[in-house]
Amino acid sequence: MPEREVIIIGGGAAGLAAAVACKQKGIEDILIIERGDYLGGILQQCIHDGFGLEKFHTSLAGPEYAQRYIDQVKEKEISFLLNSMVVSLTPQKEVIVVNNNGLTHYQARIIILAMGCRERTRGAIGIPGARPSGIYTAGAAQELINLKNYMIGEKIVILGSGDIGLIMARRLTLEGVEVITVAEKLPYSSGLPRNINQCLYDFDIPLLLSHTVIDIEGNGRLSGVTIAQLGKRGGIIPGSRRKIACDTLLLSVGLIPENELSREAGIILDNITGGPQVDERGQTNVPGIFACGNVLQVHDIVDNVSLEAEYIVEGVAEYLEGKLNKEREIKVELEKGLRHVVPQTLIRFKDTIFSFRVNQPGEKKVLVFTDGKRVIKKKFLRRVNPAEMIRVKLISSELEEIKTLKVRLV
Amino acid sequence: MEKEFVCIICPNGCLIKVEYEGTNINNIKGDECSEGKDYVKNEITNPLRVFTGSILVENGDFSLISVKTHVPIPKKYIKKIGEITRRIKVDAPIEIGQVVASNLLNENIDLIVTRKIEKKKSLSS
Repeated sequence: MPEREVIIIGGGAAGLAAAVACKQKGIEDILIIERGDYLGGILQQCIHDGFGLEKFHTSLAGPEYAQRYIDQVKEKEISFLLNSMVVSLTPQKEVIVVNNNGLTHYQARIIILAMGCRERTRGAIGIPGARPSGIYTAGAAQELINLKNYMIGEKIVILGSGDIGLIMARRLTLEGVEVITVAEKLPYSSGLPRNINQCLYDFDIPLLLSHTVIDIEGNGRLSGVTIAQLGKRGGIIPGSRRKIACDTLLLSVGLIPENELSREAGIILDNITGGPQVDERGQTNVPGIFACGNVLQVHDIVDNVSLEAEYIVEGVAEYLEGKLNKEREIKVELEKGLRHVVPQTLIRFKDTIFSFRVNQPGEKKVLVFTDGKRVIKKKFLRRVNPAEMIRVKLISSELEEIKTLKVRLV
Repeated sequence: MEKEFVCIICPNGCLIKVEYEGTNINNIKGDECSEGKDYVKNEITNPLRVFTGSILVENGDFSLISVKTHVPIPKKYIKKIGEITRRIKVDAPIEIGQVVASNLLNENIDLIVTRKIEKKKSLSS
């Protein structure tokens, strides 16, 4: 069985950044396994700009951002497999890959999970009605339009205000397609405010908050959808039903971290993030298996994916040097106002970056870290929004003497 | 006049409150960096956006290549540039940064490539 020091599953933003960071730490024997036929993952279909502002201090299109890492992977002679699917991962870090050469077994000392996400579909949100063609997830439509040169329709309704849906509203408009409206079930958008501004308002596309699609019509091809307004408790407001004639429905209703392999390897997942539960350097409950990027938690900005990958590689390097030893076990407890936290546990005394998402939008909030009694740190936040991940660093001295760690938003 | 702007320059998306008359800003609040002020100034006088889109490629390992304008351009031209890109075709191989159309609309707008596309490998080789 071929042996590898580090195997990275996934050659997208997280996998590429992790590979480059491993090499910079002096790790020589790295293999990236990518199931698609190119490196860069979803970045290659994100042809809009705005990537890299934090990492490279310039605004790049997705493929440009990806290429910066691909160039480094090639310069540093990091090996990678394309068109290769990992079909099995064990807690002993054995990997089975299938590709044109058949099955190959590898034994790794370290696994870095970087598989990213897939999109929620119509089935996941249970929209009733007919089952015609013309219903796409926003990311699938993005791939068809931006990479494969297929147009998906002429009159389009978008359900969900996730960032990909907003970006696609603009993209479709610029390709000469009519985007009738974007409906969002929640009373606030799940995309970034700047995207609502530059993707919808710039083109006079209405955003209908507290609205959803309640019926789909069409025989063969989609011919229309019915939308309705939702009340405070989520019920349909009588008299608010409205039929919209269209030939395509785009769904931008959330992402699901792709963790089938993680589960098979005995990794404990977090019900809220959908990703593995990890310690302060992204290590899962299975020693030597780390996770970063969207497979760990859904990010809104790719720069943070790259930074997260680099950050967990510190733990990877320590593990390989035999320096990653459990010194304690503290579970991070969320009190009010917060939906999730990564990392979920602390096992060492280290500077730690915490990522949070809030439950609902708000202004002038304070994030408070306590050990149950004493306040360890406070961070003032001018605005909070579920669409925007909050990242806060606590230094090791702040985390030193605590036995518990509780966080709340007030 | 009082107005709120969501800055699009970075993912922070600052909500900037501005009091202005004509093109004179009297009071500005909520901008967390200097870019915010410049953004609002432009929004009041001449809003600018980077156009991004794609054009057809011949003989490439992909059939489309992504492009952007080399600088932010007046918002009013965005749709027109979109129409133009639907008629442009280029030949592979192409490198990131290569100019594929210049001086569009006689407004000094250049389109540059944002993806590297290699020549399609022929089946016989």
